[in-house]
Amino acid sequence: MFDDIKTGDLTWVGHETGRADLIEKLTGEATFVSDMELPGMLHTQLKKSPYARARIKGIDVSKAESMPGVRAIVTGDELDYHIGLYIVDKYILAKGEVRHYGEAVAAVAAETLEQARAAAEAIVVDYEPLPPVLHHMEALKPDAPLVHPDLGSYSYVEAVFSPKAGTNIANHMKVRKGDVEKAFAESEYIVEREYSCPSVQHVPMETHVAIAQWGKGDRVTIWTSAQSPFTVRNLFCHAFKLPHSNVRVQVPYVGGGFGGKAGIGIEPLCAVLSRKAGGKPVKFQASREEEFSLLPCRSALTYRIKTGVSAEGKIMAQHMSMYWDAGAYADYAVNVTRASGYSAAGPYEIPNAWVDAYTIYTNKPYGTAYRGFGHVEFHWAVERHMELVANAIGIDPVEFRLKNALKPGSRTLTGEEILPSTGNVVKCIEEAARRIRYGSITPEEEARQKKTGWKIGKGIAALHKAPAIPSFTATAVVLKMNEDGSVLVNLALTDYGQGTYTSVRQIIAERLGFPIDKIKVAFESDTDRDPYDWQTVASKGLVLSGNAAILAADDLLEKAYAVAAEALHANPRDLANDGDKVYIKHHPDKSVRFAAMAVGLALPNGNGIGGPLIGVGRYIAQGLTNLNKETGEGRPALDWTYGAHGIVAEVNEETGEYRVLKIASIFDVGRAINPDLVRGQAIGGMMQGLGTAVCEGYIYDENGRLLNPSFTDNKIPTAKDLPLEVECAVVETPQIDGPYGARGVAEQSMISVAPALGNAIQKATGAQLTHMPMRSEDVWRTLQNKEPIDNWITKSPVGSCRSAPEARRRDE
Amino acid sequence: MKIKLTVNGLLYERECAEHRTLLRFLREDLGLTGTKEGCGMGECGACTVILNGHAVNSCMVLAAEIDGATIRTIEGEANGPSLSDIQLAFEKNNAVQCGFCTPGMVMSVKELLAENAKPSADEVKEAIEGNFCRCTGYTQIVEAVMDLTGRPEEKGELDHV
Amino acid sequence: MPMLYEFRYLAPKSVAELTATLREHASDGKILAGGTDLIPNIRNGLQKPGFVIDIKKYDGADRISYGADGLSMGPAVTINDLLRFKDARDRYPVLCSCAHELASHQIRNRATVAGNVVNASPCSDMAPALLCLDAQAVLRSGNGERVIPFSSFFTGVKKTVLQPGEFLERILVPAASAGVTGRYLKLKRIAGHDLGIVGVLMTKRDGEIRFGVSSAAPTPVLVDTVTTKDSPDEAAAKVLASVSPISDVRGTKEYREHMIGVYARRLLAEVR
Repeated sequence: MFDDIKTGDLTWVGHETGRADLIEKLTGEATFVSDMELPGMLHTQLKKSPYARARIKGIDVSKAESMPGVRAIVTGDELDYHIGLYIVDKYILAKGEVRHYGEAVAAVAAETLEQARAAAEAIVVDYEPLPPVLHHMEALKPDAPLVHPDLGSYSYVEAVFSPKAGTNIANHMKVRKGDVEKAFAESEYIVEREYSCPSVQHVPMETHVAIAQWGKGDRVTIWTSAQSPFTVRNLFCHAFKLPHSNVRVQVPYVGGGFGGKAGIGIEPLCAVLSRKAGGKPVKFQASREEEFSLLPCRSALTYRIKTGVSAEGKIMAQHMSMYWDAGAYADYAVNVTRASGYSAAGPYEIPNAWVDAYTIYTNKPYGTAYRGFGHVEFHWAVERHMELVANAIGIDPVEFRLKNALKPGSRTLTGEEILPSTGNVVKCIEEAARRIRYGSITPEEEARQKKTGWKIGKGIAALHKAPAIPSFTATAVVLKMNEDGSVLVNLALTDYGQGTYTSVRQIIAERLGFPIDKIKVAFESDTDRDPYDWQTVASKGLVLSGNAAILAADDLLEKAYAVAAEALHANPRDLANDGDKVYIKHHPDKSVRFAAMAVGLALPNGNGIGGPLIGVGRYIAQGLTNLNKETGEGRPALDWTYGAHGIVAEVNEETGEYRVLKIASIFDVGRAINPDLVRGQAIGGMMQGLGTAVCEGYIYDENGRLLNPSFTDNKIPTAKDLPLEVECAVVETPQIDGPYGARGVAEQSMISVAPALGNAIQKATGAQLTHMPMRSEDVWRTLQNKEPIDNWITKSPVGSCRSAPEARRRDE
Repeated sequence: MKIKLTVNGLLYERECAEHRTLLRFLREDLGLTGTKEGCGMGECGACTVILNGHAVNSCMVLAAEIDGATIRTIEGEANGPSLSDIQLAFEKNNAVQCGFCTPGMVMSVKELLAENAKPSADEVKEAIEGNFCRCTGYTQIVEAVMDLTGRPEEKGELDHV
Repeated sequence: MPMLYEFRYLAPKSVAELTATLREHASDGKILAGGTDLIPNIRNGLQKPGFVIDIKKYDGADRISYGADGLSMGPAVTINDLLRFKDARDRYPVLCSCAHELASHQIRNRATVAGNVVNASPCSDMAPALLCLDAQAVLRSGNGERVIPFSSFFTGVKKTVLQPGEFLERILVPAASAGVTGRYLKLKRIAGHDLGIVGVLMTKRDGEIRFGVSSAAPTPVLVDTVTTKDSPDEAAAKVLASVSPISDVRGTKEYREHMIGVYARRLLAEVR
């Protein structure tokens, strides 16, 4: 859209402007759901499963019911509502069987938190423990216990997903492109390796929290710390079979989401408690421990890649098998599988490709969307694999990447042709390489190595990602002019820190030609008052809502100009505005102020014309299709954002300790609407990517109990973990249908940080890491060729490192 | 038991359970919800307030044990209707994203600057290492403090290639 | 919002009142100092004392001083009180560098030196320094006072010689240990605040070498058998002979042993 929009000489777009939400956040005045207290509000505590899998033989709430302050207790057997985003496979509370450690089996709402906790502790649950299936590869075996024996009877989105009844496979996604067998036969080299990573937590600083009030007449109001108010409403109404007009979802300030708050979560539980408590508002806030084990995480992945390469270093064929650990419920994991499946090769052209991507149920906390939507995990594999393939065939890894990168004329796995306007991954890789002086050790670095004894290595990793969205994803923006000619913006896209509202505000100011101070974006979202938005996910917010904002601005001006034309006796085409008034271009002294027209213009004789000025912009993703279920062919990508990271790391070969000396992150964002915000996204994502790379991951005992559900043993990076030098840059290949050429970059910043680090460590030491995170012990083990041990599910937790070198020449 | 606290210059007197944390006392009894809870375990720093001049995790302090103390919270940071210098520096340097860690972060910076008027970047990082931020990657927060203390040149830029 | 389990809060205003309170609540009372371990433990239900006895409220509890006997710290002296005390910084750099490695700034403002050793966690950061500096624990109860060197203070994981009704009234670091130099190497999972995977302190005084090791055995370990004549390998072997690390979520026994050896060699090589 909008390739005719001027890109030079812009007033607001492309410049730094203050964020729209700073004062309230800096003063503590911003109200989060965790801060809300409603009159008569009850507080919730849960009874949770200590088992990964068990049959619930009985729940005795008799003692708890009579305890002081208790107003409602609910258990799974009294609820018959199925919840599910793509596969409807989850109850509000476990019913009949618990499927993961930490799953809620009963809930208490009481006058105080203390009373709720005392009652929850007094509930007695009689379990019959069952053997759990914990590792996703074990869950594929024919004799594995079934996490969902009734999978065949669940409803699901049939156009897109393929669950396999009678197995633990929640989805099987396929890509079949070209003739893989023939291409392997013609390849000079074949390299096959396996890569993996464990589940991790999003760690929003505000844990999940919601308040629900089930009023008389089945009118339900929900306040929730969520990313997507309309999806919460929609799924809620489907589960409870309520008309949408009965349910109102409000989202105030949200303390971080990262995908973990993308869908529906604890809202139905609060609602059923409220209903049982006679309509009192009920609040539940997850503790940090519950955030780890009750609420969803990021799926673990095992990814096996087999690549055939020509003598000249061109990839001929690639066979890709992805095994995603859904945990106990499918949630977003089935769509992570789909999106990862069609992007599975990274930003490289694979003429002959074969992808099998599976979502696999296990008895562990369930996986969901997490910044990058699978791409952080599988790029770990792809970009380590590119390095190892290049090493195996004796070519520089960056040269190998550039040789195989997607370029105009290339076709993606699903057959989409790459155009010059799609973006420029080659430039991103080259810029990242240039900024870290890839391929050389500078005299300063040489001196540093001598001084410290630590080896310096440099690594590059590239990335791509498109928004993983339904083909018909839509949004709308409404502009309402205030009496003074300023503009209020309503949209249901949520801004939980990304800064999208600030960018949308810039776009509207630019398009209207208004001073930015005249534009206010209403922060709280409300399904009763805001126009529809599907979800705030997938780095699609700026593109879709930005386009809708342009259309809304155009609509507002068109309406204002119609009134002005009548008042000024002019043709609307002859009108322009200076932000305060509409004037006739060839008679600038003839004008009418927006303030005069905002709620209807009074003519000199008192007659009113026009009416409140409201501009509406609607935008729906264009040209996307469902993918062919057998071949993957189709068009899944609204746009592709490319990028690359370059990392300089120093490694102590004796201990496996390492430090990141420098990182350079480059993205083709199409156009940076607000450079400071882009930089904020770039660095924030980079640090989250480092957390994934360095230290984060769920560790279970062999019974499926999570051993590190807190910050004590699940560390995230602190300010002291920053690389010594951080550089960010953008390539700007305008996206023809993006607002002012922009693409999203919120997730991309986190992708491929880990493999860039892995590649740098390998360059420094030769360590062939194939599992992340890369704890210092993992690096040490790899260097020592120690027994590869996996400690992510373990009887006695021990160090982790897996490496299975299987590179071979085809003719060997 | 009866607790008297001076918070942001105002004296509060409240009846309070003996096992109440300072965090809950501030948020629930005084309605000062600017101070946040991120973990309840003293790991994340979202609940940082200044107790008798020193930054502490208010989730690990009992209201009962600090009867008579002087507390500063985020609500007392602005100068009347205007933002404080720290807040202005955060604003100018885009040091806020979701905003949940921000109140605690500002409190940690406040104590740092009270003790050390011109900290090095490493000293800033050390002062805020107890404040988790999952959004910003910390860089723009460190830059805000460097800017505020006369080193605006430490600020990085988004380069255009 | 998570909450603490209920308890009664007691704040004895004198040592006599404190000892009486401790005697009365020997079985259902817990001493509160900085609270950085006790309060999370109560929140998590790991400890459910009926009475929490604040040790900070008697006169002198937070006293830190330096005199002819050396450095004396009351039970309410926080880690940052120690770090802000000039005599400590000037005379006991080893103690301060270990203190500085402990947790985050906010925690150091609250956590006490005494609490860090009374908890007797194997990963105590203060214990290696107190062991190497010949520090002593002055324990008090209604029955009087006894002085225990830290080398005999720890008896097991989270266990000490403290008897019910008894409290750590003072930590004494002898004047003879002033000026001892050394370095503490702590292996962590991140650069920011973290519990140690292992920690190795080496101190040197008048040619005498000592090692204090944390996260390597049921208790913090003192190794005083190494001499400057030992090669780094010999030193590492002696230190390793004194420890018995386990495998847990932070690291394996194998890696811990390796790193203790590396650190011991590295530290000794620096002074040889």
